[in-house]
Amino acid sequence: MGGDNRYLGLAYVAPYIIGLLVFTAFPFLASLYLSFTDYDLLSKPEWTGLDNYERLMTRDRTFNKSLRVTLLYVFMTVPLKLAFALLVAVVLNYRLKAIGFFRTAYYVPSILGGSIAIAVLWRYIFAEVGLVNMGLEAIGLEPVNWFGDPQNALFTLTLLRCWQFGSAMVIFLAALQSVDKSLYEASSIDGANKWHQFRFITVPLITPVIFFNLIMQTVQAFQEFNGPYIITDGGPLKSTYLLPLYIYDKAFKSFDMGYASAIAWILFVIIMVLTLIAFWSSKKWVYYAGDKRS
Amino acid sequence: MTHFKTFIATALATTAIGGTAVAEELRMSWWGGDSRHEATQAALQVCGEKYGHTISPEFTGWSGHFEKVATQLAGGTEADIMQINWPWLPIFSENGDGFADLNDFADIIDLEQWPAPLREASSRNGALNGLPASLSGRIFFFNKTTFDAAGIPVPTTMEELMAAGPVFRDTLGEDYYPLEGTGLDASLLIQMITTQRTGKSLINPETNEVQWTAADIQESLEYYQQMVDNHVLQAWRDKAAAGNVPLHENVNWTQGRIAGSYQWDTTYFKISDPLEEGQELVPSGLLRIEGAMNDGVYRKPSMVFSISANSEHPEAAAQILNCLTTEPEGIAAMASARGVPSAAVAAAQLLDTGAIEQIQVDAQNMVLAAEAPAISPFNEDPDVRAGIEDTLELFAYGELDSAEAAEELLMLVNEALEDK
Repeated sequence: MGGDNRYLGLAYVAPYIIGLLVFTAFPFLASLYLSFTDYDLLSKPEWTGLDNYERLMTRDRTFNKSLRVTLLYVFMTVPLKLAFALLVAVVLNYRLKAIGFFRTAYYVPSILGGSIAIAVLWRYIFAEVGLVNMGLEAIGLEPVNWFGDPQNALFTLTLLRCWQFGSAMVIFLAALQSVDKSLYEASSIDGANKWHQFRFITVPLITPVIFFNLIMQTVQAFQEFNGPYIITDGGPLKSTYLLPLYIYDKAFKSFDMGYASAIAWILFVIIMVLTLIAFWSSKKWVYYAGDKRS
Repeated sequence: MTHFKTFIATALATTAIGGTAVAEELRMSWWGGDSRHEATQAALQVCGEKYGHTISPEFTGWSGHFEKVATQLAGGTEADIMQINWPWLPIFSENGDGFADLNDFADIIDLEQWPAPLREASSRNGALNGLPASLSGRIFFFNKTTFDAAGIPVPTTMEELMAAGPVFRDTLGEDYYPLEGTGLDASLLIQMITTQRTGKSLINPETNEVQWTAADIQESLEYYQQMVDNHVLQAWRDKAAAGNVPLHENVNWTQGRIAGSYQWDTTYFKISDPLEEGQELVPSGLLRIEGAMNDGVYRKPSMVFSISANSEHPEAAAQILNCLTTEPEGIAAMASARGVPSAAVAAAQLLDTGAIEQIQVDAQNMVLAAEAPAISPFNEDPDVRAGIEDTLELFAYGELDSAEAAEELLMLVNEALEDK
């Protein structure tokens, strides 16, 4: 390759590289530095060493509560959402009439799901006199205090996240369509029913996609902000006070940017550890093409 | 040579004109509702045309505005003119240098239009950091229509309010309450009661120290609980069932089932406009508990107009600020979007032209007439607020008893004030 072409290539990737350095790498490293400082946004940061981390680990009850809530939210949301997305993908994989319309319709919540308007809509649907309680009363059941009861509030937000299953569903659908049909035909001849086919052919063959969706959904769930911010503001009794809300409050309401950075780094480490565990465990349950395992 | 002289003369003339040219590009930011946004944009248009400046408006709702201003100030990208909440002054301008000192523009802004105590309250270290658009305070508003339906008059004392709860439940139903009060509203209601009982405000504005004892707070918490038990206030848990919804968007308020609120007097139209047709909201001043030492009013300068310390055109910003607040065109356009103006000339003009509604004047007079010690801007410090409201919520949900909650609240407020 000539020298000119080499520079041309660099020129092509330069906008991305510059964007990555300025808008991702620099803030990323800056937040690491700030997590060791006392920084109130309006004056210069002062180096305090491990003080922020020591405070987080030993004295901050709100952090402990928020961390527990966040982990609970992630462990409820991710399996529910993946299971639901896979179920819908399996249904939409059948050759039905107007299947194109249904696939589009089921994807729509994902496009809308992250928006403020949908969070506001969710607030109305689950309000004391909202659609869900009207439905419950119509069939003779007692209305539920979805947002006011700390036992229910987090679950209500989990449902919002699960409702946004479209992107995971589309990826599952693509994986399902790539499964070799001859395997199903062969298993039918051997007497396998639909459940056996799903359990022993479909699921093993789409495990790379399940693994991909698992990682992506876990990371996204840890970063959830809009739903609890708009719908419950973290309440009641901080039962929906996820870590991103706590980071936001510490950074922009209490002006404790150094401390907020420390929380953000703890969150990063948790996500990284869980991701590493998922990668480690994937050797035991994810099957790739050409895999020699029996 | 002649050409050279002509060139020099032209250059000098251009420079001279440039020096007196006043057409500047400015920005102004504020929070509010639709009526305030419309009035302020109209006023900026009028004042901009008068002085030849162009002012870009930047407006939002209340929610998130504090964070927006904080981020802008941190990055030095704030607007030239800002509407600042008075309790934010010590946060953004600890030593008085966070905003421009408006005393430096005394030849442009008619500072004498503001009473000296208001100017003093908006100064930090002798620097006048802002000029209040108005003064606001918390008073009670009641839905007279609902009280009429219950067959009782609008209460004038806390005792009457306490007695209204059972009447509402028995005559109108379980869903009807004479007052609402959770979150900040509950916090300020409890502060009113404690101030009335002790004669002191929560934080001494001179020393930044808490003036109440745990016993003072415990007694007020028990009074609050009595209001819940007496069906005066909707329980915190039931109120939360609507989600994070402001009062004026709450269907229980708009349909009159919640018939009262302890609110800023300047928010009258914000909370009365959404009421369904035929319902009448009336201001009722401060209600006293038995044996009160004062009215316990929570009163403060409201919506302070400040000029950025980083503004490249502070004189132009000062011209616009003066126009908005003290010049006839600006006053007429701004009208009563920020309540009854603090600037004397503006209040007089709006009263003369009937631009202020009598009910706003009545509400403002109730605030002005009420007695209470001065409050500290640190009352609304984010950590102080969070400490109080989080503890009240724990108490309201039965996680803490009144004695534990009082101790916890005191501890958290003291902790929040430690570094201030």
